[in-house]
Amino acid sequence: MADKPKVVDKPDVLQRPDILKPQAPAPLVTFPVEVVVPEGRQQTPAVGQRASRADGRLHGLGQTKYIDDMYFPNMLFAKIKRAGIASALIKSIDTKEAEAMPGVIAVITGRDIPCNSFGPSLKDQPVLADTRVFHAGDGVAAVAAVSEQIATEALEKIKVVYEPLTPVLDPLESLKLETPGIHAPSANIYGHKIIKKGDVEKAFAESDHIFEGSFRTQMVEHVPLEPYACIAQWDANGRVTIYSTLGRITLGRADVGRTLGIPMSRVRIVATVVGGNFGGKNEIRAEPALALLSKKTGRPVKCVYTRVEEFTSSTTRHPLIMDYKTGVTKQGKILGRKIRLVLDGGAYCSWSETTLGKACILSAGPYNIENLHAEAFVVYTNKTMTGAMRGFGAPQVCFAYESHMDEIAHTLGIDPLEIRLLNAFDEGSLSPTSQKLHSVVVKESLLRAAKLFGWNGLGDAGKGNGA
Amino acid sequence: MENVTLKLNGETRSASVPPETTLLRLLRDQFNLTGAKLGCDVGDCGACTVIVDGKPVNSCLMLVGQVDGREILTIEGLATADHLHPLQKLFEHFGSLQCGFCGPGVIMSAKALLDENPDPSTQEIRDALGGNLCRCTGYTKMIEAIKGASCILRGEEVPAGKSA
Repeated sequence: MADKPKVVDKPDVLQRPDILKPQAPAPLVTFPVEVVVPEGRQQTPAVGQRASRADGRLHGLGQTKYIDDMYFPNMLFAKIKRAGIASALIKSIDTKEAEAMPGVIAVITGRDIPCNSFGPSLKDQPVLADTRVFHAGDGVAAVAAVSEQIATEALEKIKVVYEPLTPVLDPLESLKLETPGIHAPSANIYGHKIIKKGDVEKAFAESDHIFEGSFRTQMVEHVPLEPYACIAQWDANGRVTIYSTLGRITLGRADVGRTLGIPMSRVRIVATVVGGNFGGKNEIRAEPALALLSKKTGRPVKCVYTRVEEFTSSTTRHPLIMDYKTGVTKQGKILGRKIRLVLDGGAYCSWSETTLGKACILSAGPYNIENLHAEAFVVYTNKTMTGAMRGFGAPQVCFAYESHMDEIAHTLGIDPLEIRLLNAFDEGSLSPTSQKLHSVVVKESLLRAAKLFGWNGLGDAGKGNGA
Repeated sequence: MENVTLKLNGETRSASVPPETTLLRLLRDQFNLTGAKLGCDVGDCGACTVIVDGKPVNSCLMLVGQVDGREILTIEGLATADHLHPLQKLFEHFGSLQCGFCGPGVIMSAKALLDENPDPSTQEIRDALGGNLCRCTGYTKMIEAIKGASCILRGEEVPAGKSA
């Protein structure tokens, strides 16, 4: 029978590491190589021990290799020409002059993409726009050259003839059924969710007060410090290896296989330490275009987005238009709430469906509301793509329902803390979609926070004008 | 082509590059020192911060002609084969970096600060990092680590704090 592992006693006081004292530390590098091998079958209690990030030392040394830090022999540099027009038909693209430039090795357009559509759910996004431009950040051509500078200059030599169309920029315009479809024949409303609970009109009729509020949030860009970077190269067996800042590499593999018309088994995606993602690197961007440029040139091709492209041509946080109507008793207890959300879904679907779902479910707030009607729409506009960003719709509605709550409290002259304690979830409360909630500590957290920052109630200062 | 000779991390180095080459590109593409990062290329984010003649600069805004004959220190020149710089040790210990992309720039700004001001206040550290953007961390542990490094460099023990 094996010996039981020895348990090392947990020290009463954690030893301060020597590096916090100004003494000469042991050298890092020892020669010949000395490696400390722990004694076999020794178990140390992990809970309570200080843990160090595995990448901390490499980061501090500047040794962490991000995608743009990788260089391959014979590598080319790619740049993408951006449409610069919100909505248009592409009449023609002339790349001859760019192709003839010294140092330019290959140019491709949307026509070269075997299957020019992809997306995490709706496959509405082209790799490079071929017949239509859906937003100003659309790529219309890609150039591979011996230097980034030559590639950038070559973009100016690509002649694109556009037939401008009237862009739809206001999501409320796009919501109207008579507005022409941006992705015709698909409708502009490309996602819809509705949650109904109880009888909201009856609740309003029984309420002492009805409050209405309208809230908007703006488009937000993730701005990871590391711009998107990608390197593609093929091997002689017809397999493409793509190094990318992409987060969801399995999804990326499916999208690359689909757009290039090759089996996924021929696609290898290598991700490494990423310089910030926050949801903005959740789907492919130029991977298929780079793969094609690499195939055409027979050389590795790298593309790094400029900071401007990060703003114009990557996904952003959905702006939301949020209309709230809440019926309360004079004590501030919510009897019913009606919500309409309109999500500006940008040029392509991306992760809008997840955002729509989360925003709709969470739009009521962490409050017990028996009578609820929450309806949410996501619509196309000819603006920057909206996709995943930390929260997927939760931060936007949080701004709305908490501002709304504060307005209600203020008008009724009720302490904003008290009104929340009156309505907030408890252990076992039901969510808007009737999920029974556990580990609920909303009220405890509110009270603790209030105590920590010294909230003593409204006093005379906070009395509202009543209603 | 522009011929430049400079002292880079203690060594004399030369290069022959187009005159429009920035110091950032020189470091990354010519000398394979990829610690300095390209975050914006227009001097807004500070990810390219290196030290030129003792001063922290955005290397994306300096042309190679401007560094001819100068002394450059990059993140790669901070540690020796034997020892990490106290800034690097404490950034690791406090967990000051998450994705790490802004790290080299922040550490070089901090190094330049401590070379000039061995006992900076928290506000002085904040001001020194004013040109370095970080999207992950919120800066708090960086400031603690820089404060701690200033103690070590003065020969004092790092006082107990939230993260120590």
